[in-house]
Amino acid sequence: MPPMIEIRGLRVVLPPATVALYGVDLTVAAGEFVVIIGRSGAGKTTFLRSINRLVEPTAGSVHVAGRAVTGADPAALRQVRRQIGMIFQQFNLVRRASVLENVLAGRLGYVPPVPSLLGRFPARDRAFARECLAQVGLAEFAERRADTLSGGEQQRVAIARALAQEPSVILGDEPTASLDPALTGSIMGILKRINQESGLTLVVSQHQLETGLEYGTRIVGFQAGRICFDGPPEKVTASVVDAIYGDGEPA
Amino acid sequence: MSRSRATLLTALVILGLAAWDTGADPVRFARGIPWMLDFVRRMIPPDLAVLPAALEGALKTVEIAVLGTAASAGLAVPLGFLSARNVVPRAVFYPARAVLNFLRSIDTLVYALLFVAAVGLGPFPGVLAVVAYTTTSLAKLYSETIEGIDPGPADAITATGATRLQVLRFGVLPQVLPLFLSYILYRLESNIRAATILGFVGAGGIGFYLQTYLRMIDYPAASTVLMVTVAMVMVVDFASSRLRARLV
Repeated sequence: MPPMIEIRGLRVVLPPATVALYGVDLTVAAGEFVVIIGRSGAGKTTFLRSINRLVEPTAGSVHVAGRAVTGADPAALRQVRRQIGMIFQQFNLVRRASVLENVLAGRLGYVPPVPSLLGRFPARDRAFARECLAQVGLAEFAERRADTLSGGEQQRVAIARALAQEPSVILGDEPTASLDPALTGSIMGILKRINQESGLTLVVSQHQLETGLEYGTRIVGFQAGRICFDGPPEKVTASVVDAIYGDGEPA
Repeated sequence: MSRSRATLLTALVILGLAAWDTGADPVRFARGIPWMLDFVRRMIPPDLAVLPAALEGALKTVEIAVLGTAASAGLAVPLGFLSARNVVPRAVFYPARAVLNFLRSIDTLVYALLFVAAVGLGPFPGVLAVVAYTTTSLAKLYSETIEGIDPGPADAITATGATRLQVLRFGVLPQVLPLFLSYILYRLESNIRAATILGFVGAGGIGFYLQTYLRMIDYPAASTVLMVTVAMVMVVDFASSRLRARLV
């Protein structure tokens, strides 16, 4: 089976001249739950945002579900982005819109574009959006304004929006960093369930090492723009933790 | 200390020169006070016979301002996006901003002179003048609002595979719309005032009556027009500020 995500020599230089990633290679098989760990500034966010080209890679290649992300023209890029759901630390919901409208945004890559600009979505897509909301336990919140929900609920709406894309992959950029510990477990639990029940491939960054080790099937550690560890959670020893969270000097 | 003293001295010299050059003279002003009182005395009582004409002029003025502001509100949307740093490439942004800044430096009244010459007297050149100025001024306000948005929701919409237009519609518009409406109402308030003067250059509305009666030295009639003008501005300001308070 071909890999779900294939990244080769990914190099990102952020303007004006900050090297965020130095030629990273990573291959992720379908159904993996990859947790990315590392200090802030190690390149986790840049790495995740390069996978769907919210950040433009300087060099290297990214393929997702057999399609090229790097080098894709705008239409092809939109096609492959549909396959890649993404959730964020700040949830990034449209705060003044209803919960259902936020989830419907996940259908934008599929629905006829002109009616969508007028806020009109086919009945089938509306029904599917409600199903996605039900999957995160928020069916009864559909008509509420997004900013009336708590942080944990907003992140669940964001997960429903990602699910509405019928994705092959979900990327999570520190999805629990703005939530308290109890909600962290609830959000990571939902992601775990999606991973196990639907076989979705997950790549999620985590600032809390213990949480990452508890939920991930594979841990990837970043250090100063490079991958410094890649293996199962049980291989994350004290010296590995030191290498990831240390000051970058060889031990 | 010496630097702030130098600044103060420079400011005083500039103000002194300006006062000398404009003939600003408190004594001359004081001598004029009796004449102003005489002016006010001759305006009382107002001549209410011209009230229907004044009301009709006021209605025209409101129409000029409302129509002009509404047209500008729409026209300014594409211009606002085209001159927002975070939406378009620099090659579009810089020329668009330059054109807006140039056009915005011309006042509504100057535009009115141009349009009266182009399409003749009446309220229509007034509407065109309001549109010309307000479109550029709203476009500037819009673009600054767009530049101040939270990029997060737009990123999230982009990540779904949406087109650029869909990103604007779902990630940007909901954030900026309440502010846009607030700016439109604010411009409407200013345009009511601006449209009052437009009649002076033949571009219709209540200003035409005010100017006519003043020229005819019919002060009682002019005072009726003046009172209607004040009432009109106050009513629009009140209604508009109530609406704006509900938006934010």
